[in-house]
Amino acid sequence: MESRILQLIAALRASGVRVSLAESAEAFSAVDLMGIQDREQFRLSLRATLIKDVKDLPVFDKLFPLFFGAGQPPPMMGGNPMDDMTPEEAQMLTEALRQFTESLRQRMQRLMNGEQLSREELEALGQMVGLNQVDDLRYQNWMAQRMMRALAFPEVREALKELMEQLRQMGMSRDRIEQMREMIQQNMDGMREQIERFAGERIAENLSDKPRGESMDNLLNRPFHALSEEEKKILQREVKRLAAMLRTRIALRQKHAKSGQLDPKATIRANLKYHGVPMEIRHKDRVRKPKIVVICDISTSMRFCSELMLSFLFALQGQVRKTHAFAFIDHLEYISEDFNGSNADEAIASVLWRMPSGHYNTDLGWSLQNFQDGYMDTLNGGTTLIIVGDGRNNYYDPRLDIFSAMTRRAARTIWLNPEPPHLWHGDSDMSKYAPLCTNVLKVSNLRELAEAVDTLMAG
Amino acid sequence: MTTLFDSTRTVKSELNKQKYIASDEISTIVYLAQKLGKPLLTEGPAGVGKTELAKAIAGAAGRELIRLQCYEGLDESKALYEWEYSKQLLYTQLLRDKLNDTLGKAETLAEAADKLAKEEDVFFSERFLLMRPLLKAILSDKPTVLLIDEIDRADAEFEAFLLEVLSDFQVSVPELGTLTAKHKPFVVLTSNNTRELSEALKRRCLYLFIDYPTLTEELAVVRLKVPDLNPKLAQQAVEFVQKLRKADMRKSPSISETLDWANALVALNAKNLDKETLEETISVLLKHEADLQKAKRQLINPPLPRHKPDELGRFSGN
Repeated sequence: MESRILQLIAALRASGVRVSLAESAEAFSAVDLMGIQDREQFRLSLRATLIKDVKDLPVFDKLFPLFFGAGQPPPMMGGNPMDDMTPEEAQMLTEALRQFTESLRQRMQRLMNGEQLSREELEALGQMVGLNQVDDLRYQNWMAQRMMRALAFPEVREALKELMEQLRQMGMSRDRIEQMREMIQQNMDGMREQIERFAGERIAENLSDKPRGESMDNLLNRPFHALSEEEKKILQREVKRLAAMLRTRIALRQKHAKSGQLDPKATIRANLKYHGVPMEIRHKDRVRKPKIVVICDISTSMRFCSELMLSFLFALQGQVRKTHAFAFIDHLEYISEDFNGSNADEAIASVLWRMPSGHYNTDLGWSLQNFQDGYMDTLNGGTTLIIVGDGRNNYYDPRLDIFSAMTRRAARTIWLNPEPPHLWHGDSDMSKYAPLCTNVLKVSNLRELAEAVDTLMAG
Repeated sequence: MTTLFDSTRTVKSELNKQKYIASDEISTIVYLAQKLGKPLLTEGPAGVGKTELAKAIAGAAGRELIRLQCYEGLDESKALYEWEYSKQLLYTQLLRDKLNDTLGKAETLAEAADKLAKEEDVFFSERFLLMRPLLKAILSDKPTVLLIDEIDRADAEFEAFLLEVLSDFQVSVPELGTLTAKHKPFVVLTSNNTRELSEALKRRCLYLFIDYPTLTEELAVVRLKVPDLNPKLAQQAVEFVQKLRKADMRKSPSISETLDWANALVALNAKNLDKETLEETISVLLKHEADLQKAKRQLINPPLPRHKPDELGRFSGN
């Protein structure tokens, strides 16, 4: 039982739920207390101690039955229709069966007997379809289907239909045939359930054996372009968490600023209870929220970085006084309006859909021209200008004149580039832009992105 | 901590006596929290009875309920304790004569200061300590239930401070020394999930997610709390509310709103849930103008079935 619980915890972790050591210890003491006789109470004790987030509840609900059975006894088999057959009927059946090949006959016989598959058979089937390499629950049904196909389920089903027809022609009573059909159907359903359950359990076990090496830390340090779809999703979640962490840190930083300009009104108000003797001094809140104008390259090479950057910025919304976001590939578009809704993910998706990327058509120079024409007034002394991009301009005019005008208007300019300086050659104009920026930060993974945002807010 | 309930079944029946209908899930987790001596963190949409749960637990256990309502900017002096300066000042003024007596006999300034220092304890005693909820729960002679309501509204900073208090139930007041809890209170925290709570806080708590109730559960609550409403009408009303929750509203009606509505129906002496009654009373359930319009369009005056069969099907409860 203990190792089973540990496996469940490992599987939870592998599915992205954060379970601390203290929490798993707590789960054990809860189980000790509640006992394991009552399955529901057992489930609730594990859930209340291991899962601390609504979003993780479905993961738990999916994994738990795979480790601790679905709650019912093993699937019900319909029983053997041959048990109460008259000798004649049995004779008929044997005759009808004779026309099928040996292997098919055995399978049909087996279904009629209502025998369950043995553990070894299931193992063998799993082996055949490569179940041991799967560690994603989404493949459970697919795997189960493959296993059933390996059992020649479809053929057997067809053959059974034929068999029934045969029996009918041989003069077996309609009721009897109907009864047989029902029992066989039940047996089949039972077997399917058995297989599905086995596949689910095995996948969950694989999940818990999954090496922990693929943990968050590694993912944080992995360059953006080397991430799989699945990992991107995990990272999206992590972005939100990081943003929450940063937000708290920034809030603390703002709170802890206990000096600055005196706030006479608040001070008098606070000291009324001391007869107006100023015992507590109040200071004006220091507003340190930057105003941000961000220009993101969302061409193919930069897309993922920009996507994360945007979701990061919008998760930080509360810490930023005003954001103007622009995206460009071959021209510039104002995308802040897309972000007025509450769901940043949808907004990002809609922007990416509206501006599909082409081939080698990134043109920063022209985009800067667009900016100058329409949006120059968004930049002023309190603004931080952020450019996210690799500065690869396809040999178009970099329009350094506009860029330097922009940097002069903004309080500071920060360029986030996934490429390190030694790669700034070829069609990269980065070395021309760089001297004009206050800061050029290399951001090629999430950790660097988080650090960049942190510096941004600290400044 | 003294045992409140000796099995999950007692939790259920005792809470029931307090007119709180607890599901198996709730009673199991409450029992577990009590046994493990862990704070209970309840999350869920607004108005599903999270606060009510704490009240019911206090009632069932016969304990005093101490409530700390969180809000942005809540700090230690509002949550823990504060010296009652004005009272101290008042006492000094009134006791001036007595003080003069004591200090008058002193020969030197130093002696007077020493004498005053001896009396210092009078002015920094629990008498002048304005106890806020947390300290009250810690110093209470009898075991209590401490409800920390809407923790997600307090700042992260306060959350960190709370962690300290919750982990060992002692506070140090510089003038008095360390005050330790005589009885460990049963702590219930509620959160409406408006912001992510810190991992550290979550780690220390048992987690209970309370969602909108099922039809049977909600009906049971209505029958229990509004016994005057006739059963048929109650059934209709709850079915209607459940339908509203399935429709995509800006703010779904909560249980408390269902109860308000049920009370309104009783007060209006409604016999049937017909169109007029609905139109008159629906504003008790829905608080947004857009929601009201939508409900009127879709549920009270539904489009004819032959025009839009799918739309009706969507709200018929399946």
